Amino acid sequence: MPFRLLFRSLFRHPIRALLTVGSVAIAVFLICMLHAVVTGLARTVDAAASNRLLVQSAVSLFVDLPLAYQGKMAAVPGVEAICKWQWFGGRYEQDKGGFFAQFGIDPETFFASYPEITLQEGSLEEFQKNRSACIVGKDLAAQYGWQLGQTVPIAGTIFTRTDGRPWEFTIAGIYQTSTPTIDQQTLYFQFEYLRQSLETGGAVGPDGVGVYMLRVQRGADPVAIQAAVDALFANGPQRVQTTTEAEFNRQFVSMLGDVPLLMQMVGGAVLFAIFFAVLNTMIMTGRERTRDIGVLKALGFPNGTAGMLLLAESLLLCGLGATLGVLAGLLLEPAFQAAVGAMLPGFGFAGDTLLLGAILALGIGVVAGLVPAFRASRLTPVQALREVG
Amino acid sequence: MSQNSIELRGVTRIYRRGGQDLRVLDELDLTMAGSTFYALMGPSGSGKTTLLNLVGGLDRADAGEVLVGGEDLTGLSDTELARWRADHVGFVFQGFNLLPVLTARENVELPLLLLPLGRRQRREQAERALEMVDLGDRMDHKPRELSGGQEQRVAIARAIATDPEVILADEPTGDLDRDTADAVLLLLQRLNRELGKTILMVTHDPQAAGYADRVIHLDKGKLGRIDDNRATAGRS
Repeated sequence: MPFRLLFRSLFRHPIRALLTVGSVAIAVFLICMLHAVVTGLARTVDAAASNRLLVQSAVSLFVDLPLAYQGKMAAVPGVEAICKWQWFGGRYEQDKGGFFAQFGIDPETFFASYPEITLQEGSLEEFQKNRSACIVGKDLAAQYGWQLGQTVPIAGTIFTRTDGRPWEFTIAGIYQTSTPTIDQQTLYFQFEYLRQSLETGGAVGPDGVGVYMLRVQRGADPVAIQAAVDALFANGPQRVQTTTEAEFNRQFVSMLGDVPLLMQMVGGAVLFAIFFAVLNTMIMTGRERTRDIGVLKALGFPNGTAGMLLLAESLLLCGLGATLGVLAGLLLEPAFQAAVGAMLPGFGFAGDTLLLGAILALGIGVVAGLVPAFRASRLTPVQALREVG
Repeated sequence: MSQNSIELRGVTRIYRRGGQDLRVLDELDLTMAGSTFYALMGPSGSGKTTLLNLVGGLDRADAGEVLVGGEDLTGLSDTELARWRADHVGFVFQGFNLLPVLTARENVELPLLLLPLGRRQRREQAERALEMVDLGDRMDHKPRELSGGQEQRVAIARAIATDPEVILADEPTGDLDRDTADAVLLLLQRLNRELGKTILMVTHDPQAAGYADRVIHLDKGKLGRIDDNRATAGRS
């Protein structure tokens, strides 16, 4: 095969070639992004621990459960520990449109229940001892340049202080996680601090707990505990729904709608659009090369050579686009992780994601190249030379 | 039969146009001696280019036999025909038909890719062919950087690069001015006389035909007269 001809022909129309390569690159990048979101969601669900159950209101995740439930649930056989989770929903005073989550939790049971979370800096003792202490994820600390001992002012939107001032949390520790499915961009503070503030009138807001996390004793049957806890409050005052962590994550994700289906539809549309763009380019290229095809055949190149040249050209265009798309994905991955990490901690361009993007692009290259290649192979030398000559 | 002679036996070629059969060549019998420069003349539609295409193995006859150098082309498959073209024929077209993305040297190297030659051999052979057509100083120029005459000379260099026995030229001077055309025709004449190539050239131009040894006249797909220029006074 005349490779020099192949490489020179590739950029015979540089603007058209660059636009095609650019389109493929953007498509590959988008497909990688969409796939990363889908796999990120799946990873979050799959990585859930089997010994953690979550108890929420049977009505909605946004309805709080009474504080008194904790004692009753603790008495259920097989429940080893309980940790409260309360969504705080505050806004960082100095933030300019950014967002990070804050939760009130029980420090005494939190770390034991989530062995994936460990303190990188600071001390657990300090976090437990100081009512207004908090721990922050290392990515969050890095984002805002926070240090241990620093006070973070958070304006409450659900829980507001009656003195009109922002809540102040002192950083007692910076945590890291051993799994990408738990983010490092959250601020955790003592639930007790919130409760006391509400009780003493220092703050106003809903009284209760968003979600209870139950740690299951080794050997205990989680299904039986689920049934027991649900039965405990079947007659009110507030019915509950107990789920495994995986199911809870799945339900949380499904609140956004059928994200995987949506992503697949968008990805499919992107693929189709880009396929027709590449096909159009290759058909135009094939027609323009008719005379060259005739010359090659007249010189004695077999029928397949002209077709192979067009197919290879299509593959090269898409391959270049795929490479650029994958490189863009790798370069921009940290920025995207920082942007969506709090919402989707499992987000990331895994090897299979990048491979998928590259394979799809090359697949488009093959199919789009086959059309002009087939035509080129079937043309007789006389037909090819006559068509433009 | 000499190694590079051309023989057509009862060759018929029919094109189907607008639902009607057009008999472009009609049971044509013609023998051309090897190492001779032939000009093929005739009015438009007389079958000149069709004959050239059949002799070059670019097209197939509907009936009859085409023998070049004793090889019957009618029995060859498409792949065999392509191989045969690469080994035995060089083409020169009216529109030069150089590949615009390649330099003169690369254009000439193109048919050499089909021969079992190393990169260096290909390069040397291409350079020799270009020097033969006096384009040793234009090897790295692309076709758009060359004049029409130079482009046609590159095309001739490409045609002779593989050292074929037969060179087929379809109106090679059709797009050139008189002086440039004369230079190209002299070159073809030289290839015939010095290298013994059999040349078959289609032309409308009687002056161009004057460079050939013999002029074959076709009319409505049938053989007309054959003039022998060598017998004409003033040329030898």
